[in-house]
Amino acid sequence: MPVDIELFGQLLPGAPRRQTLTLEGETTVRDIALGLGLELEEIGLISIDGVQSEEQDLVPPDCRLCFFPPMSGG
Amino acid sequence: MKLLRVNMDDLGVRWYPVPPVYLQLGGRALIARLLLEEIPPACDPLGRHNILIFAPGLLAGGGVTTAGRLSVGGKSPLTGGVKESNAGGTAGDTLAKLGIKAITVEGQAQSGEWYLLHIKADSAELLPAGDLKGTGTYATSDRLQERYGADCTVITIGQAGEFCMHGADISVTGERDQRSNHAARGGLGAVMGSKGLKAIVIDKPLGKSIPLADAELFRTASRTFAQKLINDPKLGTKGSQHLYGTASIVGAVNEIGSLPTRNFSSGSFEGSASLRGEHLRELVLEREGKIGTRCMPGCVIACRNNYYDEDGKSIVGTLQFETIALMGSNLGLSSLDDVAQLNYICNDFGLDTIETGAALAIALEAGLAQFGDTERILALLNEVGQGTIIGRVIGNGAVTTGRVLGIRRVPAVLGQAMPGYDPRSLKGNGVTYATSPQGADHTAGNAFGARKEVNPLGVQGQRELSLKLQIIAAMLDSTGLCLFARPPVIADPQLMVDMINGIHGWGWTKEELDRFNRDVLRTELEFNRRAGITAADYRIPEYMREEPLAPHNSTFDIPDDELDAVFDTL
Repeated sequence: MPVDIELFGQLLPGAPRRQTLTLEGETTVRDIALGLGLELEEIGLISIDGVQSEEQDLVPPDCRLCFFPPMSGG
Repeated sequence: MKLLRVNMDDLGVRWYPVPPVYLQLGGRALIARLLLEEIPPACDPLGRHNILIFAPGLLAGGGVTTAGRLSVGGKSPLTGGVKESNAGGTAGDTLAKLGIKAITVEGQAQSGEWYLLHIKADSAELLPAGDLKGTGTYATSDRLQERYGADCTVITIGQAGEFCMHGADISVTGERDQRSNHAARGGLGAVMGSKGLKAIVIDKPLGKSIPLADAELFRTASRTFAQKLINDPKLGTKGSQHLYGTASIVGAVNEIGSLPTRNFSSGSFEGSASLRGEHLRELVLEREGKIGTRCMPGCVIACRNNYYDEDGKSIVGTLQFETIALMGSNLGLSSLDDVAQLNYICNDFGLDTIETGAALAIALEAGLAQFGDTERILALLNEVGQGTIIGRVIGNGAVTTGRVLGIRRVPAVLGQAMPGYDPRSLKGNGVTYATSPQGADHTAGNAFGARKEVNPLGVQGQRELSLKLQIIAAMLDSTGLCLFARPPVIADPQLMVDMINGIHGWGWTKEELDRFNRDVLRTELEFNRRAGITAADYRIPEYMREEPLAPHNSTFDIPDDELDAVFDTL
């Protein structure tokens, strides 16, 4: 199943900001983050289809998964 | 410390010792108490009984990083209630070093007369300033620095303040030729204009610091505070705030569906990628602009930028999230160059970009131009500075614009436009908008940073979260600290207590600091109550309770009784 991934801010400099991954079987946000090379403490916010999510959440098919660094309110 | 009382009725400038009731107050706390004690709460905000107050915070002048913000206050022409709005620059620090607890401006000059207040180390005087009438904030600041020296601080209004427009703000200069610091919210520029006061010039003080009651305690605490900011993953030199500025959150706010889009008709904008902080940084560096500059001397966060156009010419001193939201996505604009131009014009006329962006979007919804039509939007904004009829409508803010043009969807609470977070998808901010004595103001208690504590789309916990954030905001605004500097003092309030005690020697405890913070809100709520503001005036607009917001189809559904109970445990 395809999942669109987007990385924001200073996460993984040099890596493509957007990519599509094809997942097989149950996969958590944490699995994807670690697979991309992210360190979990670098992540400030995760969203799946715009809804705030946690690292243990399962990734649904055909979703948009975003990783953000820690941020302050503007 | 002393109070500088300026009376525009008789053009008198008088110094007074600080009365005991005001001694342990600063910034927002002092403004709230002065308003409650000294003006009739039901007075006309643009009449002679209102006072305009300039007050540094309790930590100003000692060299605490990020603590030099200048609080400006008065009864707001927009909200009809108490208002404190603060700005960076050098004014807060400078006033504290001159031993000035606050400047109060009362009365009104003769109609058509304009004055300039010049503050020196040991004296102050009002001088005629008719030659500055009709001059924007940039030219006014330049001319006054040419006249009084490049190292003086200039506080000024632009044309919007002269016209007493309710969206008018007050600009403050920073280090060297730095501009674009504005006490933006609440229409306080109109109050300054109503007094006939065009500008204040403050000479650079001779002293480098203020007297310290306990220098060792102060230095230890202030150094620890600075180091904690530097080590913070959000704020340090590797953090998103420093690297991308406040625009670092454009992507996230859009993703969670809270980014004001086309007059708050959607929470997500298809052109948001080109408004993000990441893109802003690329453009600024490519054009050899500046990233990571400061609005106050000694700030270790340094989240400003200097935004240049394609030809490498500076457009505006800093392009910030709120302006990008209200004058970008909210107007259907996806070009940072366009937003920067609008930002520059607002700064020059002395207009709050939040209020004006909201008003312009309402004008677009009314059909005065299409969303995304940069040229027509620029033309509408230019009419504000020219003082045409439609310009005066827009310059008076979102509520006036909606009323005149017959638009019901007006994103405002207590007469003041909402900032860059639609409350239907960030409900904690909705609670703050609907309860803060300051009206719809993100700086009064922004829940965006507390996403992990409380689900932004849920109802549970929003009331408690907003109260907690409002109490913290009251502390920051009263000490002169930037709101981004909150993490270390939230984690360790003793740090704040030690910095205050180190300067003032008051021997406060954490409990006394907490009581002080809560008293700020109590005083403000009491002022608003006496001004005749009721619970109904604080409500979120009806359409936001009924019209679902894309992409989450969320409405603002915090019950009124929950909102009315926010301050039950204050």
